[in-house]
Amino acid sequence: MRRARADVLLAVVASCVSLFAAAAGAQAPNEVRLARLDSSTRTTVLALADSARRDHLPSEPLVDKALEGSQKGADGARIVTAVRGLYAELRTARAALGASASTDEINAGANALHAGLPMRNLAQLRSASQHAGRARVTVPLTVVTDLVARGVPVAVASDVVLSLARAGLRDADFTMFQRNVRLDIERGADASTAAQTRARGAALRGGRSS
Amino acid sequence: MRSIPERWINRVVAELRRPVRVGDDFDDKVMNVVRGMPPHRFGAWSRAIRPRTITISPLLSGIAAALLLAVTLSVGHLIGATRTARASSPRADLASDRGGSTHTAKRRPVQFVLVAPTARKVQVVGDFNDWDATHEEFRAQHRGGGVWSVTAAVPEGHHRYSFVVDDSVWVTDPTAPRVLDDDFGLPNSALVVEGGDVGR
Repeated sequence: MRRARADVLLAVVASCVSLFAAAAGAQAPNEVRLARLDSSTRTTVLALADSARRDHLPSEPLVDKALEGSQKGADGARIVTAVRGLYAELRTARAALGASASTDEINAGANALHAGLPMRNLAQLRSASQHAGRARVTVPLTVVTDLVARGVPVAVASDVVLSLARAGLRDADFTMFQRNVRLDIERGADASTAAQTRARGAALRGGRSS
Repeated sequence: MRSIPERWINRVVAELRRPVRVGDDFDDKVMNVVRGMPPHRFGAWSRAIRPRTITISPLLSGIAAALLLAVTLSVGHLIGATRTARASSPRADLASDRGGSTHTAKRRPVQFVLVAPTARKVQVVGDFNDWDATHEEFRAQHRGGGVWSVTAAVPEGHHRYSFVVDDSVWVTDPTAPRVLDDDFGLPNSALVVEGGDVGR
């Protein structure tokens, strides 16, 4: 009898321990992922991610940004500044692209804003793409960001991509256009001229850049 | 005092030992009487509401209370964790955009190539692997002639990534679109993995 009662006690204690272990194992994944950050930075990033969720913004890019900063050796203050900046860009991107914008579009839009594109250009690109029957603008936003990063002035890059979106370029054509401009620049071409020239060709060929 | 005769005692004992014969319809008669009794005021609940004395062991009742508390806390914790995971796990937002769950977010093979003739190690890091340079899955292999490559499964969608050469040098992919996200001094490359979300 005494032995049986001891077995029951042991089973009860084991059940409690395993339940707590399961609960601990299922801890909020972001807390686990951000474990490498110092406590203060982690708390701030998690708070920003919570705010983003409440605002119906994607929170994952904020966590990614913090992890990137950590891996690149940035200190906590710099990480928090970058995450705050990205939060603002995500919010602006969503406002420009509309409530129906996907996470990818918002991400790409935030990157475009970071590169210097004005908010209204994002809205114009979205509107032009919708008129041309394009469902998503992730790739055009990625291309315009790349053009700016390669030295094409913001206004030129924006006009070029806008014209291509109006011409009804598909994602594959945008990718081909970006590759051609990159190769031209790498061969020594002026970035602005290369983008404008390749864009005219792509539009003339009905979306086939060569 | 007069003693009772032995034979009387024997007769009484014999009578008590004699089996009582009950008729076959005895049970039915008893049950009919019971069924005929008026029902209790609270019917089926009468057992539950009747006052009774319960004996409690302090040790066992303490354990029972602890177990109940543990179950309550654990279930609450698990529900909270599940909600958080749904809201913020990697690519969960992507998945919800596409009407799927985190676990059903499609991953597609992507080849990463870097020409680095003097490198001893090349690793791909990005938002798809938490920028963690220890992922074996994203460690490039030297194919000869300075060409390093790795093909890994990446979730559909827009990503930022970079190469880490020899555990210290961050290098953008020269063939990929660039991202001017130089918050930490080092820009990244962009990658759009084709899927339902991208294109038209």
